[in-house]
Amino acid sequence: MLTDREIQRYSRQITFIGEENQERLKSAHVVIAGAGGLGCPVAVYLAAAGVGHITIIDRDRVDLTNLNRQILHWERDIGREKSRSARDKLLQLNPEISIDAVTVAASGENAVALTKGASLIIDALDNFDGRYILNRAALVHTIPCIHGAVCGYDGHVTTIIPGETACLKCIFPEPPAGSEFPVIGTTAGIIGILQAHEAIKYITGRGELLKNRLLLWDGRGSTISYLDLEPDPLCRECREFQKRIISGEKD
Amino acid sequence: MQGVQRISEEDNFRRKGLMKILVRAFAGFRDVMGERSSYDLPENSDLSTLLSIIASRSEESRILLFDDQGRLRGHIILMVNRKRVPRSAIGEMSLSDGDEVALYPPVAGG
Repeated sequence: MLTDREIQRYSRQITFIGEENQERLKSAHVVIAGAGGLGCPVAVYLAAAGVGHITIIDRDRVDLTNLNRQILHWERDIGREKSRSARDKLLQLNPEISIDAVTVAASGENAVALTKGASLIIDALDNFDGRYILNRAALVHTIPCIHGAVCGYDGHVTTIIPGETACLKCIFPEPPAGSEFPVIGTTAGIIGILQAHEAIKYITGRGELLKNRLLLWDGRGSTISYLDLEPDPLCRECREFQKRIISGEKD
Repeated sequence: MQGVQRISEEDNFRRKGLMKILVRAFAGFRDVMGERSSYDLPENSDLSTLLSIIASRSEESRILLFDDQGRLRGHIILMVNRKRVPRSAIGEMSLSDGDEVALYPPVAGG
């Protein structure tokens, strides 16, 4: 049930999505992996929209070089854990939701436990090793993983739904090289907001998700293109899963 | 008259045994290869021939596409006529006149 205050707070969106969907947002648990350039805008919009439970995972502390794009971390936060810095600001924005701050690197050992019970995962990491770990956790729990990545003026987004879409390994069998990428803050903002938008669409069931579609944002001319995707029947990560789903459908 | 001339140019093109392939380059590739470019290839050329020809146009393109051993870089996403080409199929992927090839080097940062 929504409180009177919640009905008032979310009134401008309740008139669009309805009270039932606002309750769905309230009972949702979203795990945001990464509180950086992507994770910050994702978290701001999901907190503002009233996602009731948000877990923010980030292994790092705030550094001066983060401040051009990681909008939840401010000058005074330099040296603080990013997950806690993000949590503080989000609770000031919306004290009616609950936010867990976790300072740890997502690993093969902890990812399944960290995402247990979640409605969906947001992949807002900055490296493919971690992204593949999230992909596996999403397959284990059969929950969506909304993937986004950026570099310079370029970004991409797709929504991975186990059993319905290509998984991250089907789409990107090999990780791109490099570890530190140049980013304009607005590129991360645009892609992060698209990820948050996918999450809201998934939770409320309104609109069409980026399923088996990779949205490519090109900031040079502010254009959007799409690449069509499909599950790779030979994908080592999800082929067993694909078989289970297919045989499940036959039953 | 112009229309007639255009048809005869197309005839000439086909008689020479060439086909036109449109290449769309995304993200970092766009800066080096251009957003859209057209390649005239001998008929029956395959995707790997096209990639070699793109690489031969500039050293920058070659480095983006191939590693030191001359292997196509594993992370590049290849599409022909909007359909993904699996890595294993590149060698036998033949092209036809008018095909559109898309090249996307995924971004990874966050």
